[in-house]
Amino acid sequence: MADPMASFAAVWRALRSMRTALVLLLVVAVASIAGSLVPQVVNSPGAVASLYRDQPVLAQVYQATGLFDVYGSWWFTLAYVLLLVSLASCLGPRTRALVRALRRPPQPARELETLRHFAEGTVTGSPEQAVDRARRVLRRRRYRLGRPNGEAAVAAEKGASREVGSLLFHGSVFLVVVGVLLGKGFGFTGQATLIEGETFTEAPASYDQPPSRGRFFTEDMHRGFQVRIRAFEVSYRESGLPREFVTSVDVLEEGRVVRREAIRVNHPLEHQGVKLFQQGYGWAPEVRVRAQGRTVWDGPVVFLAGEDQDRRRPWRGVIKLPSLRPQVGLELRLFPDPVAALAGGPMLEARDPFLVFTAYRGDLKLTRAQNVFDLDRTGLKRFEEGGIGAGQTATLPGGVEVTFTGLREYTQLRVARDPGKGLVLAGALLLLAGLLPALYGSRRKVWLRALPDPAGARIQVGGLALQRRAAFEEEFARLARDLAGVGTLPGPS
Amino acid sequence: MTRASNFAFGLTLVLYLAAMLAAFHHLAFRREGSARAATRLATAGAAVHLSSIVMRGLAAGRVPWGNMYEYATAVGFLVVAGYLVLERRSGVRTAGGFVLGLVVLSMAAATMLYVPPGPLVPALNSYWIRIHVLAAMTGSSLFILGTVFTVLYLVQDRRARRLTETPAMATVGAGLPADHAEGADEPVASEEVAPGRLPAPGVLDRLAYRTIAFGFPVWTFAVIAGAIWAEQAWGRYWGWDPKEVWSFVTWVVFASYLHARATVGWRGRRAAVIALVGFVALVFNLVVVNLVVSGLHSYAGV
Repeated sequence: MADPMASFAAVWRALRSMRTALVLLLVVAVASIAGSLVPQVVNSPGAVASLYRDQPVLAQVYQATGLFDVYGSWWFTLAYVLLLVSLASCLGPRTRALVRALRRPPQPARELETLRHFAEGTVTGSPEQAVDRARRVLRRRRYRLGRPNGEAAVAAEKGASREVGSLLFHGSVFLVVVGVLLGKGFGFTGQATLIEGETFTEAPASYDQPPSRGRFFTEDMHRGFQVRIRAFEVSYRESGLPREFVTSVDVLEEGRVVRREAIRVNHPLEHQGVKLFQQGYGWAPEVRVRAQGRTVWDGPVVFLAGEDQDRRRPWRGVIKLPSLRPQVGLELRLFPDPVAALAGGPMLEARDPFLVFTAYRGDLKLTRAQNVFDLDRTGLKRFEEGGIGAGQTATLPGGVEVTFTGLREYTQLRVARDPGKGLVLAGALLLLAGLLPALYGSRRKVWLRALPDPAGARIQVGGLALQRRAAFEEEFARLARDLAGVGTLPGPS
Repeated sequence: MTRASNFAFGLTLVLYLAAMLAAFHHLAFRREGSARAATRLATAGAAVHLSSIVMRGLAAGRVPWGNMYEYATAVGFLVVAGYLVLERRSGVRTAGGFVLGLVVLSMAAATMLYVPPGPLVPALNSYWIRIHVLAAMTGSSLFILGTVFTVLYLVQDRRARRLTETPAMATVGAGLPADHAEGADEPVASEEVAPGRLPAPGVLDRLAYRTIAFGFPVWTFAVIAGAIWAEQAWGRYWGWDPKEVWSFVTWVVFASYLHARATVGWRGRRAAVIALVGFVALVFNLVVVNLVVSGLHSYAGV
């Protein structure tokens, strides 16, 4: 076994090499592909569940290897952490080198004639005057000049922006990562299903499921303001495509309306750093159930759309009545527009809505975890079926009266807070800002020497571009003309 | 308006095909006349193409890149327009036939996805569709152009290698200035001499690099703009949706390409292969992710 420090140093050296960074970049690319081919728990839990049902062995393998949660898996994390370490390890020395280079004035050169670009010419005036003029010209062109050293010569360079840009680009990656982690740690996302007229409080209990919160998000970070759903409207085009979904809301703070807003797709509402997004919608029929002389249910029920996306199938909902003996469960189907359904068209708007019910009795098994949109029928027996229009009442055997009292709509909002996204955006924009000089900048060096000449001063100009040499060709020609006068001689090519 | 747009689309295909034939004629027989004809036909084709796209936008009453068919044809236009600009600037005229051939093929394939012009679903109805999608199309078209030059580079590089392997030609490529090793946009191929009728590998390599290096910041911007839009529409700026994954992969692979060109041992052919991988990711994102994989972007597909 080798000395641990030595192997650590070897790993460190390997991480600092460009080749390793390149390989790690490609590894991250390949690893992220996996997440687009295997269903991810975060994006499509349904697909993951059905894979467990249909191919349990494969699902086990995916689960064990982290393929159901690629972007949170240890190997994906390892790949990008290594990449970040590799990035940091070369950013440090490069920044130091850049600072050193910027502090050091351009150095004089000996042989100008051997440089790739060279020009010679004669100008009037003394060599000293020629040098002064050259310094002015070069400074105007934003060249950095070397210190005068007593000789009639100038050393100049330009284009440090390339390295500055490259460092900015690579450094911004860290800014983005910090922003992402900040959002993950201190943010939350939740979903709220709200029927027209309801008021939502930005507090844990108001969400459909407990909101998914970051590790450092604490209960008291919920803002507690309220949002009252004044109305929800969906409008359709003639083709049946939805045109717009609008949730009209009042924002309340301590019971007082502070804002009146509309939440649309692409137009979220932001309040106290919390954003509310239009995510879904649907029908919520109002139903009243009376039995044994008392009202056991009175209110709207959230219905889910049929499996199809084109709104031809009825909406589905469930009412569970555990207080009755025996317990009663109602499976409901809503036809918002039965005439359209009969014609085979989509049911977009409510026109003579019709509610079809199937009634069950027995044990609802509510002691077990359940989906509110489904009945567990294992302990239930069907005892009646029927249908009612709005305002109608059906009387079931056993004296249960079901009344379809009205139809409302509900809206589904995604509620999110991400305190890191400003930093992510700043990082992304800095990254872009650094990218341009990093790709298109070029380092150029120019030297000038003025020699005494009977006619004034003989000027020699030499130049070198480290990048974009073809472009420098023209720039140098113009520079030589300005520096060495009209009588520029073409240098040896 | 729709019929006029579709007619112009057909005319575009004819003009591009004719331009492609003229370009290949130039390549095969070195006729100056056919090179000029190719450029003119392609320019005329691009003008008609643009009119077709504009009319489509007018017919739909929105930006003409709201579904996959429109996206593909608009990218085709940008590729041809980009090529024509590049041809003018670089003077390299022998690659035109390949560019036009690729565009004609992809436009013909896109007609299978034809849908009549219509309005957008609410999720797409945002001014970000102008910014994000236009940037994505521009970036894609530059990457596609860069890929054509990369493929031609690989062909020419192989030929040049074969030539240098024969002893009589062993001196070709020797005596290059030593400073060629520095700088990513400098010739990395050992050849500035054209083997055959296509440009020299060094010329093609530089063209490929410049096009991709131009496309990269545009693509970066497209991804950033997409994230800003996603934050507005879906409440998160990044959610590893398949479209997001593949645009990230495309970005990472082309970033690797740019890095590879500055890495000893990766310049030249290896870097070129990375660019081809990037192209595969780009096409996968456009075709497979839209048509096969389901995700939030899939409704934008057809």
